[in-house]
Amino acid sequence: MSGKSLLLKVILLGDGGVGKSSLMNRYVTDRFDSQSFHTIGVEFLNRDLEIDGRLVTLQIWDTAGQERFKSLRTPFYRGADCCLLTFAVDDLQSFQNLGCWKKEFMYYSDVRDPERFPFVVLGNKVDKEEREVGEDEARAWCEENGCCPYFETSAKDDTNVGAAFEAAVREVLASEDPIDHTLLSSSIDLHGNRKVTRSSCC
Amino acid sequence: MPDVRMAAYVHSKGVSWEVKNDTLMPSDRLRQDRSESPTPGLVEGTEPGAGQEGAMFVHAQSFEDLTADSEPNTDNKSAEVDDAQEEALEEGDEEEHLESEQEEKGKEELKNSNKAKEEDVTSETWRSHRKHVFVLSEAGKPIYTRYGTEEALSSIMGVMMLLMSFVEDKKNIIRSIHADGYRVVFLRKTPLILVGVSRTSCSDRELTRELQYVYFQIVSLLTLTQLNHVFQHRQSYDLRRLLAGSEHLTDNLLRLLDRDPGLLLSAVMCLPLANSARDVVSSSLQAAKAKNLVFSILLAGNRLVTLVRKKDQFLHHMDLHLLFNLVGSSSSFREGEGWTPICLPKFNPAGFFHAHISYLEPASDLCLILVSTDREDFFNLSDCKKRFLERLRRRSAYQSLQEALNTPSYSLSQVGIPELRHFVYKSKSSGLYTSPDLPALYEGGEEQERLMGLYQHLHSCLHHPTRPLRCIYRCTDTENLYALVTSGFELYLCFSPLGTKSLAVSAVNRLLKWIRKEEDRLFILSPLTY
Repeated sequence: MSGKSLLLKVILLGDGGVGKSSLMNRYVTDRFDSQSFHTIGVEFLNRDLEIDGRLVTLQIWDTAGQERFKSLRTPFYRGADCCLLTFAVDDLQSFQNLGCWKKEFMYYSDVRDPERFPFVVLGNKVDKEEREVGEDEARAWCEENGCCPYFETSAKDDTNVGAAFEAAVREVLASEDPIDHTLLSSSIDLHGNRKVTRSSCC
Repeated sequence: MPDVRMAAYVHSKGVSWEVKNDTLMPSDRLRQDRSESPTPGLVEGTEPGAGQEGAMFVHAQSFEDLTADSEPNTDNKSAEVDDAQEEALEEGDEEEHLESEQEEKGKEELKNSNKAKEEDVTSETWRSHRKHVFVLSEAGKPIYTRYGTEEALSSIMGVMMLLMSFVEDKKNIIRSIHADGYRVVFLRKTPLILVGVSRTSCSDRELTRELQYVYFQIVSLLTLTQLNHVFQHRQSYDLRRLLAGSEHLTDNLLRLLDRDPGLLLSAVMCLPLANSARDVVSSSLQAAKAKNLVFSILLAGNRLVTLVRKKDQFLHHMDLHLLFNLVGSSSSFREGEGWTPICLPKFNPAGFFHAHISYLEPASDLCLILVSTDREDFFNLSDCKKRFLERLRRRSAYQSLQEALNTPSYSLSQVGIPELRHFVYKSKSSGLYTSPDLPALYEGGEEQERLMGLYQHLHSCLHHPTRPLRCIYRCTDTENLYALVTSGFELYLCFSPLGTKSLAVSAVNRLLKWIRKEEDRLFILSPLTY
């Protein structure tokens, strides 16, 4: 098994402070730092894994949730394979903002087939005693928004973190469709070429 | 003994530069009487190596044509500012270059292609390469890296995309970063981003030109139409799926860029061959034609034997170099007949030609490339090859070709100029160049690349976008260099460090006389069409 691995770009979105960076660090480096700092702009890490016999390299993009970083994070939405919408179960506002995050992503990512784009929703910080968002409420939102998978996670306790990212990969693989290759048959037409004395692209 | 380094720049005053030819069609020039005593100001079309009739190639400037697409007019001011800054750094770069050259003397680097791919990207070996090239999609996904694996460099490529996006978010464009003896050059060719890194004396423009070649190699494999289509369809597409198996083409192209002056000059070199023998080969190809055949090209290794083209169709040097690269990178064509789609991006980036590729004999270096617009044309072209071979044998030309292959180049001793170690001469109107064997001093790969780096430096001085030179003389510790460009030719010479400038100037005149005397053998003077 020395073939090239599939390379997928995965984006973590959500309010500042819900634990996106901790989730990424837990998954990639298996570390948790309770003294976490706010992300500035974007950060990303790689993780190699094998899913259902396929080698995959995940390029995980972690974004700054604060509004003032909007212009820094939005250029990196384009070309994502999957989006992980993240909220904290102890922060009702972060859950209520999921719709805005999804809208922002759809707007800036310029996805061609919005109905089929894979989202996974993460309810983080389930290690906390007090919850403001019930699991049923979160699952209902996921049902209403494209039936996306939902995972209750804790970066601190390493609960469901791997499962969530692996589900993201499976969502991408499930929606993978082959590129139309009929263009390989397009040949040169000399007569058409004559009209263009100089072809400049870009 | 004090260490004296001198770089002499000579400006010609009162000389009006020729108006650039903005059409791809070369202008046919009436043949003028060729003077017995050539002068450096030879008019284009009368220089040694100029064809007597129409040219074979698109009339390409050495530099501008390749970068015209990537620098729209609105960026002219920005380009000037960048070049001014680059000029300020030039002196420091030279010192850095000399130091690094001394450090690397004696080092032997075995560049095994597979080993380069498996390199650990966190190792010092990976970091110490003189040059790196990266290709990524606008989504930040890795597509190609010269050393290491794309997956392992996923984060670094994300940083590159990030740098480009940050700058563009402020309605600006990033061209290059200079720091700590490194240059990092960025080139956006939507939907691709190409990044070159160098710690040589290469200028930004030289690095950008190399990235252009890599871009065209990719377009050659896919067509621009398909490239745009796959990313319009899915921005997250992993282009390595379509490029699988072609990495060695780009690897080999980058090696050529380090060593082959033809890619630098937008020119190709001919196999030295008697004029009469070449005429027989050309007319044999001319006779073995087919309805949809556009180009018939006979190669001998990396030398052009002849090229016959359909009337009104011209081949660009860059496209020919891509064909050379395709043939030179693969050994599979030797055994039988290859049939492959290929896009020639300068000719038409939108669609494929199909090329019949075969060696005249398995053990021979003679390779015939027949380029057709019809993808069902294989058997017709196979028949063309047979007819070509029959004709060659019937006219006893095959033996002449085989003998010429035994001496595919020539030694500098034939020129008979002491202190001259090497030269590269390009005839502008024919798009061909000639260059002797490298002397023993430069035979090692590293020394060859060093000499090519010096030529590249002279080339970028001569063709500076805002302050071009007509000639330049430069002394280093190990050799003296002289380069000049006229309306008819470009000439780059390497002398012993004991040489003087006046010796160099007189050597040019003697060399031009020699090339004139040998032009029948070194150039294609009578190209044919069908």
